[in-house]
Amino acid sequence: MDAILQILVTGLTLGSMYALASVGLALTYGTMGMFNMAHGLFMTIGAYVCYSAFIVFGMPLSFAVLIGIAAGGVVGMAMHLLIVKFMLHRADFQTTIMVATAGVAILLQDLILKQYGAYPFKQPAQIEGQLTVASVVVTYQSIAIMTFAAALIGLMAWLLTNTRFGLAIRATAMNQDAAELMGVKTEQTYLQVLLIAGVLAAAAGILISSLASLSPDMGTNPLIRAFVICVVAGLGSVTGAGITAIVLGVMEAAIGYYIGVRFGFPTMLGLVILVLIFKPAGLFGKQGVVRA
Amino acid sequence: MNGNTALYRHLTALVAVLAVIAILPVFITQRYFLGEIILFMIWASVATQWNVLLGHAGVFSLGQMLFFAIGAYAVGMMGTYFDVSPWLAMPIGAIVAASAALVIGLACLRLETAYVALLTFAIVFMVSTLIRTDAECFITKGGLCTPLFGGGNGFSGFDDLGFRKLLKGQWVVGNYFVVLGVLALSLLASICVIHGRLGLAFRALGDSRIYAAARGMNRTRFHIIAFVITAFFTGLTGAVYAAHFRFAGPSLFEFPTLVFILAMIVIGGLKSTWGPIFGAALMMVLVEFAKEMGDVQNTLIGFVLVVFVLIFPKGLAGATSQLAQRISRQRSRKASDTARAI
Repeated sequence: MDAILQILVTGLTLGSMYALASVGLALTYGTMGMFNMAHGLFMTIGAYVCYSAFIVFGMPLSFAVLIGIAAGGVVGMAMHLLIVKFMLHRADFQTTIMVATAGVAILLQDLILKQYGAYPFKQPAQIEGQLTVASVVVTYQSIAIMTFAAALIGLMAWLLTNTRFGLAIRATAMNQDAAELMGVKTEQTYLQVLLIAGVLAAAAGILISSLASLSPDMGTNPLIRAFVICVVAGLGSVTGAGITAIVLGVMEAAIGYYIGVRFGFPTMLGLVILVLIFKPAGLFGKQGVVRA
Repeated sequence: MNGNTALYRHLTALVAVLAVIAILPVFITQRYFLGEIILFMIWASVATQWNVLLGHAGVFSLGQMLFFAIGAYAVGMMGTYFDVSPWLAMPIGAIVAASAALVIGLACLRLETAYVALLTFAIVFMVSTLIRTDAECFITKGGLCTPLFGGGNGFSGFDDLGFRKLLKGQWVVGNYFVVLGVLALSLLASICVIHGRLGLAFRALGDSRIYAAARGMNRTRFHIIAFVITAFFTGLTGAVYAAHFRFAGPSLFEFPTLVFILAMIVIGGLKSTWGPIFGAALMMVLVEFAKEMGDVQNTLIGFVLVVFVLIFPKGLAGATSQLAQRISRQRSRKASDTARAI
């Protein structure tokens, strides 16, 4: 019983970080059909900027975290203004944008490597101490992670459902042409979407690095998790991605505990492929897949 | 028969290209340059196969390096554990790679483009993590523990192709021609696929998937066929890589390598026949250049890739044909002008 509770705590912590990492990815795919291979770099940049603001420039921690998150948003916007904007109307946008963002990913990762070196750092955003409830250990760090992730995702959900700006995003996701005819400036919507994705990813990066450590390729691992989560949820389903992330986080923790940490991800991937054989559009995907 | 003349034209070009590469060792004798050309031929072969899959068949696979690595590991593992010569291990590696492709293809290729890309990417990541984190000793030789799949270090120092004994100081030339042979096979296969009946099917599916399906073409089946064929030759190339460098390890799976080869295809020209070869040559030169500038290799690769996707989405092949069109249009305009003047 204790083991199960402990797994649940670990799993929920993992799951909330995965959710933060994958919701932005799902949102970009849902609104603009763009799969961002550089999404993991948004995480890395957020984490490193937060680290630099705190250690190098000596800012207070809460401020450093905010700057780290803002940096993710700025990079997201810059990517839209410099690259994505010019490719949106291409016939093969879906594949070429993946190639372009893969280029951006390797470029940014190399720049970070040159700037900070390959040596892993410890993220300063740490909260010491732990809570013991009925022999289950809950660190304050994981409570902070869960609260922070829940707050950010809640804020995004509120923005999407209760504001005109969120309405514009949802309208664009449903039908770009119709949204344009109703007066939505889709170009601007795409910019906002990449901003949101950047912010969420940077926040995820800071949280993830507080558990692991900072390294130039720290984004790869959560990015692949986010890929798998988005795929099994059905590409573009934002709510689905959030739910799937929590479920897969708990599953990974359980598999890690009972079988071995090495097999957490492989088992997850195997299950995902199995799910896709029976539901090719993912668990929450709406459109049927055209089969031929 | 229009298709056949195109096929013959490309086959003639193939003979010419191979002849040029075959003559090179007469003029270039430095081992370093020969090594660089060998590496170029290996990447050109991988890029060509990937282009068949990505550009022509329309399968957005990010798992090509897995098949490359399977070929390489086959040579490494058989050489280390059973002292099998690479000559025998190479074709076996290619067959294992093709079989793996069949299994992965059956599981994944039914899905949409983006799903295929993400799943193949995730599978490669999973395999590389499993190999890296394996700490259980399979054999222990001289206090050195080797896990079944080599762990983080991989395999090295196994038997080579045997030219060191046969040709002594000139062994690189022997390897050179073996790699050239593999490149020839790989190019021949790619030309036969692109300009043969399979290529016709790919074009039909690319033009209108629903119409092609209505005419009884099974898209998934054609995708799996393309996946398996290209995996076979990619695996063969990986095997010859391992035989030449006497190395097979998890560094083959690294993301920068994938983007490096992707850049070759995009810069050469997606959907072209010969583009990837020129792309490979250009990228090799670029990397040499980056080495001199001080290890900015990946920054440069990323930058060039983004620039090409943005400005020359059809790569060099597309840019040159555009240029040729513009020149011929200008010429015809001039011709009509003079005609009017007369």
